[in-house]
Amino acid sequence: MSGLLLETRHICKSFSGVPVLQDVHFDVRPGEIHALMGENGAGKSTLIKIITGVYAKDQGELIWDGKPVQIDSYQACHALGISCIYQELSIIPPLTVAQNVYLNREPRKGPFIDYATMEKMTQKLIDRYDFPLKPSALTQDLGMGQRQLVEILKGLSSDSKLLIMDEPTSSLSGKEARSLFKIINALRDQGVSIIYISHRLEEVYALSDRVTILRDGKNAAVLEGDQITPKVVIEKMLGKAMEETDESSKLLRLGEGEVRLDVRGLTDAAGRYRDVSFQVHKGEILGIGGLIGAGRSEVVRAIYGIDKAAEGQIVLDGRPFAPSPCSSIAAGIGFVPEDRRSQGFVPLLSTVSNVALTNYDIIHKNGLAISAVDERELGKRAIDKIDIRPSDPDKEVGLMSGGNQQKVVLGKWLVRDLKLLIVDEPTAGIDIGAKKEIYDILDELASQGVSVIVVSSDLQELIRVSHRIIVMRKGSVVREFKGEVVTQAKILAASQGVEQSEGNAQ
Amino acid sequence: MKTHVKQTTLRRLISLVMLAILVALFGVLGGGSFLTPGNFSEILRDASVVGIIGVGVTYVIITAGIDLSTGSMMALVGMTMANVYAYTALPIWLMIVIGMVVGLVAGLINGLIVARLNVPEFIGTLATMGVFRAVTYLIAIKDAHGVIQSQPLTVPEYTVLGTSVGPLFVVTIVMALFIAAGQVVLKYTRFGTRLYAVGANRKAATLSGIDVARTRVIAYVIVGLCVSVGAIFTTARLQSTTALLGSGFEFDPIAAAVVGGVSLAGGSGDIVGTLIGAVFMATLENGVLKLHMNTAYQYIIKGVVIVLVVMLDALYKSRLERASRERGAQGGAEA
Repeated sequence: MSGLLLETRHICKSFSGVPVLQDVHFDVRPGEIHALMGENGAGKSTLIKIITGVYAKDQGELIWDGKPVQIDSYQACHALGISCIYQELSIIPPLTVAQNVYLNREPRKGPFIDYATMEKMTQKLIDRYDFPLKPSALTQDLGMGQRQLVEILKGLSSDSKLLIMDEPTSSLSGKEARSLFKIINALRDQGVSIIYISHRLEEVYALSDRVTILRDGKNAAVLEGDQITPKVVIEKMLGKAMEETDESSKLLRLGEGEVRLDVRGLTDAAGRYRDVSFQVHKGEILGIGGLIGAGRSEVVRAIYGIDKAAEGQIVLDGRPFAPSPCSSIAAGIGFVPEDRRSQGFVPLLSTVSNVALTNYDIIHKNGLAISAVDERELGKRAIDKIDIRPSDPDKEVGLMSGGNQQKVVLGKWLVRDLKLLIVDEPTAGIDIGAKKEIYDILDELASQGVSVIVVSSDLQELIRVSHRIIVMRKGSVVREFKGEVVTQAKILAASQGVEQSEGNAQ
Repeated sequence: MKTHVKQTTLRRLISLVMLAILVALFGVLGGGSFLTPGNFSEILRDASVVGIIGVGVTYVIITAGIDLSTGSMMALVGMTMANVYAYTALPIWLMIVIGMVVGLVAGLINGLIVARLNVPEFIGTLATMGVFRAVTYLIAIKDAHGVIQSQPLTVPEYTVLGTSVGPLFVVTIVMALFIAAGQVVLKYTRFGTRLYAVGANRKAATLSGIDVARTRVIAYVIVGLCVSVGAIFTTARLQSTTALLGSGFEFDPIAAAVVGGVSLAGGSGDIVGTLIGAVFMATLENGVLKLHMNTAYQYIIKGVVIVLVVMLDALYKSRLERASRERGAQGGAEA
């Protein structure tokens, strides 16, 4: 038992009956960088939340430094010497670096904060880990990477033995990420253990001593040293050999026919996507794959006109098109957003009212008032098209299952004369039965000549629905799959920037 | 990193320049009657009650809260003291202490409603604004016909608080003490740091072990204390109080804070900024009077200034965020 800093045994956790973690083992040695990997929904964040006391485990044991422990709050986890650096920063921008690091633990002289001592203490920490920071700098004046360092410093200031980093590079530039890696390595050399969670394989190869891979809430593998290769990691994440065919592969179409949408050189002012060009044909379903944060949602939002691109051109049916939600709807573009609950529908309104929301222009009016009869008629038509069961047109959409909610969001668009439908993560959080129905709806649309863009992080889904697939990585389109057999492994490799020829991972 | 002025310094500069422009404008337009030592002392006097109450209100706004009940609370404190004065033989100092206790309790009620019962600040203090005013009417001293009377408070030991010492009014001196103490507490104690943390990132504050609810309650209690002191000086100068005391006043400390750089989004600003805002507002009122303009213009100008300032703050904030992101993107991990 000795020699392990943290060990979790037989961890089980379910949410409303659905098992998320099943009998998961995970251990961390002192002074190692241990990557935790898995696809979306594999259970990584749930495991971390159990370790940090955010969730209570249903079953299992946590063992810290050889002794069983209960961690039921963040404070308890902190007291043991575990610090978590969250994706969303917990920095207080109007305070200085030193104030942030020692927040609520400030050294005092009488009733007053002893700033001189506090800054000296902070400087000592900074020198020890060689961070490029100044104790007296206001954090709101710092770049994102430096803010991240402040966060890490805060974790280290309480003599943490274990740092948990959840996607620490998601808001960092390449250069900042590299300097973070140097720091992470230096921390390890000083005996700090690090749990590193990232979607980016190349970071994991560059950093990790060991990798634990979760798949569907279960342990898939623990790899060490030379075992960590792109091929093996991808295989273990997907649970299939690279060459495997059937469900996880498909012969894609070439992408021919009349061009409906032509996107040329779309570039974002904030740099979230650069020089993105692609075409969508009539009756074609174009899948966009890539990791979260690759800029996919941002691109489709720009095409629909929610945010404006700084540069580039969008051509719809041969004519230049300046998108805004109003003009896009008028031009026959529909948009099903990623975050259904906050952007897709109004939870307190019924199906009828939700469907009417985007369609007031086609509902008959009596003078200025909307015809209630027509509104209802339209709602019923939508329900017919999408097959909501039980089909109560007056039920609040917020009370429905995720699958039915998504169908309502789709239904809003199906009653219109659509040219292009954009769907961002069509089936996130939806049960398998409803998933299939949604895929059928998309297929049906395409066969009627509607063009569809599907953004999806679910590789199986991407392959299932798409006629052609482009993959984005770090804001650019890096690969197009057409007229060839595509596999999940190929898409994942392209998303990661590791092509399948082995050994070129850094 | 390129040289760039700290946000706080720049914001301070903007409010000072605004004040300077206003003084210069009235100086040119109003000539002799505006630019006199006596008039400046009056402006400072008029800014003082707002400045004192502004200390508490600034704390609350830094925690991303708001307090709309300060005007009614003033009336309640004033009327309580009038009752003590009219119906008891208690000494004046005790009357003042009772007034302050009423203010503290009123502030505590606000704090508990907002922070413990989780009622949105705007609604919670809007409700108590009505309640405090109503209680004031209930306890107001009425004549034989039941008509509410303006209640005189004319003991010399009390009205002395409304006079001046040399060129400065007593209230201005007290304000200076409040501002100084308020600024020191904000910048040099854990409580002050907690106020910023609670306002800027409540989740992070909780993770750092800060008792967010307690911090917010204390901020509201401090407002109560400041309001009671403001009420004492206002009634001492008027030598009386009425049930209508402080109607519409709740706007003034909030406006002063906003003009002085305290963001309604929470997490920024300080007491010295609010002082500048209070002096700005008092100068505006004074100048409008001195120029014999219709006092209605005073409210129009105040409204326009506040909209402009908030707009500017929002614009500046979004620029700042973008700059940070861009610096991030350029890989500026060097200090």
